[in-house]
Amino acid sequence: MKCEWVKQNIVLHVYGELPDDARYELEQHVARCADCAAELKAEQDFHALLSQDRVADPTPNLLASSRMHLQEALETAQQGGIWTRLAFDPAHWLRQVRFSPALASAILILGFAGGVGTTYEIFGRGAKPDRLPVAANSGTTAASAAAIAGIDSITPIPGTDQVTIKYNTLSTEERQGSLNDQQIQQLLLYAARNNYNSGVRVDSVDLLAKRSSDLQVRDALIYALQNDTNPGVRLKSLDALGNYVKSDTNVRDAVLRALVNDDNSGVRIEALRLIEPVKADGSVRGVLMALAAKDQSTYIKSQARTMLAQLPEID
Amino acid sequence: MPAGVWAVPFAVGGRAHSRERERAVKVAENQLPARGRMAGLDRQAQDRRIDDTMLIREAQRGSRAAFEELVRHYDQAVLRLALHLTGTEQDAQDVYQDAFLKAYKNIGSFRFECSFYTWIYRIVTNLCLDHLRKKTVRKEDAPVAKDADGGEYDLLDQVADARAGANPERDLMRRQLGARIAGALEKLTPRERMVFELKHYHGMKLRTVGEILHTTEETAKNTLFRATQKLRGALADMR
Repeated sequence: MKCEWVKQNIVLHVYGELPDDARYELEQHVARCADCAAELKAEQDFHALLSQDRVADPTPNLLASSRMHLQEALETAQQGGIWTRLAFDPAHWLRQVRFSPALASAILILGFAGGVGTTYEIFGRGAKPDRLPVAANSGTTAASAAAIAGIDSITPIPGTDQVTIKYNTLSTEERQGSLNDQQIQQLLLYAARNNYNSGVRVDSVDLLAKRSSDLQVRDALIYALQNDTNPGVRLKSLDALGNYVKSDTNVRDAVLRALVNDDNSGVRIEALRLIEPVKADGSVRGVLMALAAKDQSTYIKSQARTMLAQLPEID
Repeated sequence: MPAGVWAVPFAVGGRAHSRERERAVKVAENQLPARGRMAGLDRQAQDRRIDDTMLIREAQRGSRAAFEELVRHYDQAVLRLALHLTGTEQDAQDVYQDAFLKAYKNIGSFRFECSFYTWIYRIVTNLCLDHLRKKTVRKEDAPVAKDADGGEYDLLDQVADARAGANPERDLMRRQLGARIAGALEKLTPRERMVFELKHYHGMKLRTVGEILHTTEETAKNTLFRATQKLRGALADMR
């Protein structure tokens, strides 16, 4: 077994590839074993024989000519393209970043700025036109940049001369566009429902009347008719809705409600005039009968009676 | 002298390159123990590695001059290996050119996971192995003859060398020995031949041979053992 191991390792011993302990073991064995000693001698002789045959160094001419040919070939050779190296080697990219803190910081800052920019595009500037002009809280906007709509609270900070004032600002924006423009319509609808200035509400209802074929617009007009505090606005809405008393039951009900409940007689008389074409309708007839029986306004009472008289009797 | 240890003057790169090198050398100096002559040799090897690293980085950035400098560090050893393995100057030159062109095109993917020495030898040995495999296939066509002892040898090896020395008799004997050994080497498998070549003629450690051939040191040892056994069998009559 030992001899077998020695024979396997003699070559490595001759080439100096045996670790120190194995070399010592081999030498110890060879000193005692004649066969292995002969084997070692034979291997050493063979090694010496082979060593007589030396590898010739290439001639200077061959080397020079090889270098020249290589240079010529390099002239036309292309290294792996920069894109191949950068785009298809993310590991290389990461390595570059790891060793270049400045580059890593730059990429981080760029990424952050890009993210902020995109957010601004989507939620800031992009959404602005859709937003209705409402009072906005702003702690940083200078008072000169936007009108102060009102002071919410004043809180002095104890022990200092500092004071915290919470106030609302309004900034005015302008938009011009066709009546068909969705955003213009939104603004008009908002104006019809919410604006504190009745003149603006009248104007918006006047404009919306031209588009009363739109259900959304009609809803806004019905809302104005029922809830607006200004009789002029209610009258305008009533006029705008007049054409739909026949076809739209919602409009008819709204007009009837106005006829019964409105506290302005002008509005009520106009409502009565508008329901004239549909006086034969059951609900209208009921309202007319009630009005004819006990309305406070003598004019409305008499008008209702006249209209009922014109209707055919129902058994 | 083992293959690939020459002191080549550093000649490429600008001022920035020189500064970088000075810094690198300073760092290397601090890391090196002072041990007389050994320290000197270590320093030489270290300098060489630093030079290579910087040249590789410049070549990776696209500098052809840096790559050509790198080629000069290794090309003599590469040509020597190719010449001995292929047997003809033309084939050796082809292997040389293919190897360095391949290295140039792929230097961008060199990751410093092994030494450049190992990397370039990997390319060269692969090309040589391909050449040896092809040669094995067309061996039947080779102009071989039988010598007095019945061993085959390549007739081309018998053509007189123009560089004949002062002692024609010794030259003749050496040529005959060379021819016999060459004939015996031809009988090895390409892989056995490569391991034997790198170990015996180029003095490489078997661990490096394993790295170059993408195998383990143990496999390289076994392959060397087999190759030596075969050669001893083929050249038994010469002892």
